[in-house]
Amino acid sequence: MAEHKHGHGHDHDHDHDDRDHDRAAAGIGSGDYVPGYFEKLEMSIRELLVERKLIGADEIRRQIEVLDSRTPALGAKVVARAWVDAEFKKRLLADGRGACEELGISFYDDTGLIVLENTDDVHNLVVCTLCSCYPRPVLGLPPDWYKLKPYRARAVTEPRAVLAEFGTIIPGDVEVRVSDSTAKVRFLVLPKRPKGSENFSEEKLAALVTRDSMIGVVPVELK
Amino acid sequence: MPAKQELLTHLPTEFGGLQAGPVERVEHELEPWEKRCHALADVLDFHKIINTEEKRRGVEALGAELIGKLTYYERWIVAFANILFEKGILTPDDVAGKMEEVAARLGEARPGT
Repeated sequence: MAEHKHGHGHDHDHDHDDRDHDRAAAGIGSGDYVPGYFEKLEMSIRELLVERKLIGADEIRRQIEVLDSRTPALGAKVVARAWVDAEFKKRLLADGRGACEELGISFYDDTGLIVLENTDDVHNLVVCTLCSCYPRPVLGLPPDWYKLKPYRARAVTEPRAVLAEFGTIIPGDVEVRVSDSTAKVRFLVLPKRPKGSENFSEEKLAALVTRDSMIGVVPVELK
Repeated sequence: MPAKQELLTHLPTEFGGLQAGPVERVEHELEPWEKRCHALADVLDFHKIINTEEKRRGVEALGAELIGKLTYYERWIVAFANILFEKGILTPDDVAGKMEEVAARLGEARPGT
């Protein structure tokens, strides 16, 4: 493993030829790591685009910092606020992106956000059948299972069976709604506030909210 | 649905409604190059060089076999290369030359040496 930890996606300055620098940037420390074909392809395309001034040398590094700053904790903050503030919830359901921006969450990828509220009558589930669109600004990057065939193929035709595989049994009288994401419109589930959390602070509520509950595959439960 | 007809109604990236096995709840921490690849996608989008829909179509254009065999970010980076070639922004020779340079810098022997 790497002996020294370098920032992911270190950008290269090839005015000075520095092999160790590159190896570290590629996550190589002890010398037993050899970048594969696709990693070299990534390095090559990125370097060519930088050399031709089509992208800036620092932009990749800055975007990695943005990606690293996005975690489900942001979505959890939005959900907890909606649970304690009815007016905020109204704004969130009317304009997901605007309400998130109100909480200081910026949208770097020019996507819209629709927030879907789970109730006693409706359970929402989010999928991207075509690829992997996901509300990255508020949840970070999606898990692998969200991007793989079984979930994408089956969520739209047998959502109850898929939910059961996550241990989530939706009663027959509750409607299950599946929303299929697009390049421009992403979805976030506003889960039901769990019973027994009536006296919880907003912060304590946020700690209950998991990534998977905001995709809609599990409920929020008291820990 | 007959197999040939299904090929038409479901292009290689269109999984919705197909038969598939159980969901296995797998996830992994992205490798550094995968995260760089993701950031590259975002930066290409910011500069209006390749947008999300072009990226998806670029993956689709790889065809079913490559889509099935390459990993997620492997598909992305190959799609980016192809789209950049199509747009005349880079040439295959540019990339081949740079890959040799990268390999040499990383201390790899050149083929045939």
